[in-house]
Amino acid sequence: MKKLLGAFNYNGEKFIFQENGTIAVVSGENYVKPKNYDLINNRNTIIGNQKITGEGVFNFRYGPVTGGVAEAGIYNIFTNGEKILGVQIDVSYKRRYIEDKLKGKSIEDGLKLANAVCGNFAFSHSLAYCKTIEKILQIKLPEVIKYFRIVGLELERIYNHFYVIAELAKGAAQKVYTSHMQYLFEESLRVNKIFSGSRHLIGFNKIGGISKYLNKEEIVKIIDKLSELEERFKYLYEKSLESGNYLDRLHNTGIITTEKALEIGLTGPSLRASNFREDLREFDNDYNLTNIPVKEEGDALARMEVRAEEIFISINIIKEKLQKIKDFNDSEKNEYKIKDGEEVAAVESPSGTICYFIAIKNGLIDYCYIVTPSTFGFKAIADSLVGQIFTDFVFTVESFGVNFADAAR
Amino acid sequence: MKWWPLVGIKNYFTEKKDYDFKGEIKYSLKDKVFKKSLHIFVIDVGNSNLLNFTIKALKSPQYNIHRFGIFFTETPRHADILIVLGPVNEKMKQPLLETINQMPGDFGVIIINEENSIDNKINEIEIPNVIAKVDKNLSPDEILSILLTQMNRG
Repeated sequence: MKKLLGAFNYNGEKFIFQENGTIAVVSGENYVKPKNYDLINNRNTIIGNQKITGEGVFNFRYGPVTGGVAEAGIYNIFTNGEKILGVQIDVSYKRRYIEDKLKGKSIEDGLKLANAVCGNFAFSHSLAYCKTIEKILQIKLPEVIKYFRIVGLELERIYNHFYVIAELAKGAAQKVYTSHMQYLFEESLRVNKIFSGSRHLIGFNKIGGISKYLNKEEIVKIIDKLSELEERFKYLYEKSLESGNYLDRLHNTGIITTEKALEIGLTGPSLRASNFREDLREFDNDYNLTNIPVKEEGDALARMEVRAEEIFISINIIKEKLQKIKDFNDSEKNEYKIKDGEEVAAVESPSGTICYFIAIKNGLIDYCYIVTPSTFGFKAIADSLVGQIFTDFVFTVESFGVNFADAAR
Repeated sequence: MKWWPLVGIKNYFTEKKDYDFKGEIKYSLKDKVFKKSLHIFVIDVGNSNLLNFTIKALKSPQYNIHRFGIFFTETPRHADILIVLGPVNEKMKQPLLETINQMPGDFGVIIINEENSIDNKINEIEIPNVIAKVDKNLSPDEILSILLTQMNRG
């Protein structure tokens, strides 16, 4: 199904659509505006549903400085007491105008800014940026670089998924489980450090290449560490599914139906938990991915299960790719010639599709438009919170795995 | 089926290591009043979420900050130390100053500016009692070492 991911004005109105594994930029003139057009247009200010007024209804303003919301953002929750009647999420406090800053920059400076969009999706952002530039410059990559990038992307997925599951456990007051998950989260960050030299995989992607290769000891170390994490998590995950207290909090919380998810433009694990099979990695020949987890319920539990199962799949992918790059010992220089042109490219980040449209003119970036999964994730949070009570807030918000830095750019 | 807490007791994750801070400490809290415990409030004023994740990692059992008497609070009114995660956005300047205004008595501020190419570093705002100001992506053990220095345990 065709989903609108972005709308912008560059030499006329243009739309970015995703249909399964294809991302396409088309002229907006010939299209009837899809239902999520307004959401995309207002994505830098307020994301949510309508403002509610009425007897006893007030705005419970949660953020930007509070213990509950770690980032600088505001949840405007319209309520008359316990029940949530409407939600408007203000992302403008986190706005850093990165797309504007990219204009007039060289492609190398642009890469630094792409890394700074969202710290925990830094690898996905820099990869999407590099892929777009490589398409414009028509750079062909050696197989081994593609494998390194797949490993990086999957490492990012693993630590983000560990984080989301730890936060859900924390919300449900499962203290022991939370501590275990936080241990796995920290250990996965240390694996990232061995792999890329950065705990958050920052600066690993370069245009036409990567910044660090691995020696054999490092590869063995990463494989051993991941096997240990996999074993621990398998035990913990099975154990957590026996805990009625925990499951009760997630089950039937923050439900998003398939129709609603597609109407919003949701991508990633949240969409797959709403019974719709779509994953950009499935259409990537380098991946060879067939067993994508899909759940029917569309609630917080389904989203958690999809993420948990993806962790095992990601670890297997990493092990497979690391075996392939084991004997490689070569550092090719990334030489390229700058060209003008415009292109679009996307990657499957831990929370959904990240997509970059870039136009290069006279050797410098002339225009950039970034599609982030958090924009659609926040809309899904706002819509699924309506009709729920305050105690469901944390599970709904955390299960989508979105953040303000990613949405506000 | 094992009872959950038993699963926890079996594994002891805390690391035994020294945390030394090698940077410059600009201001020290008087008389080491926080020798036994330290309460921290964290405010994000526009970092890319990377430092937020570092703070989350600091709460993991490997560091076990509670053994030193370090706790995170939900409000600046209960905090001894404010950690500011920058660079700062225009819209967050006022909430930041108001948060500092709400800090009680003898307090300290640690400013961490993320190392990236966005310019808005926290320089032009006048912030009192700055203990340390760092313009790099600190790791959790570096943050912990700054806190321990304040507690005279570094």
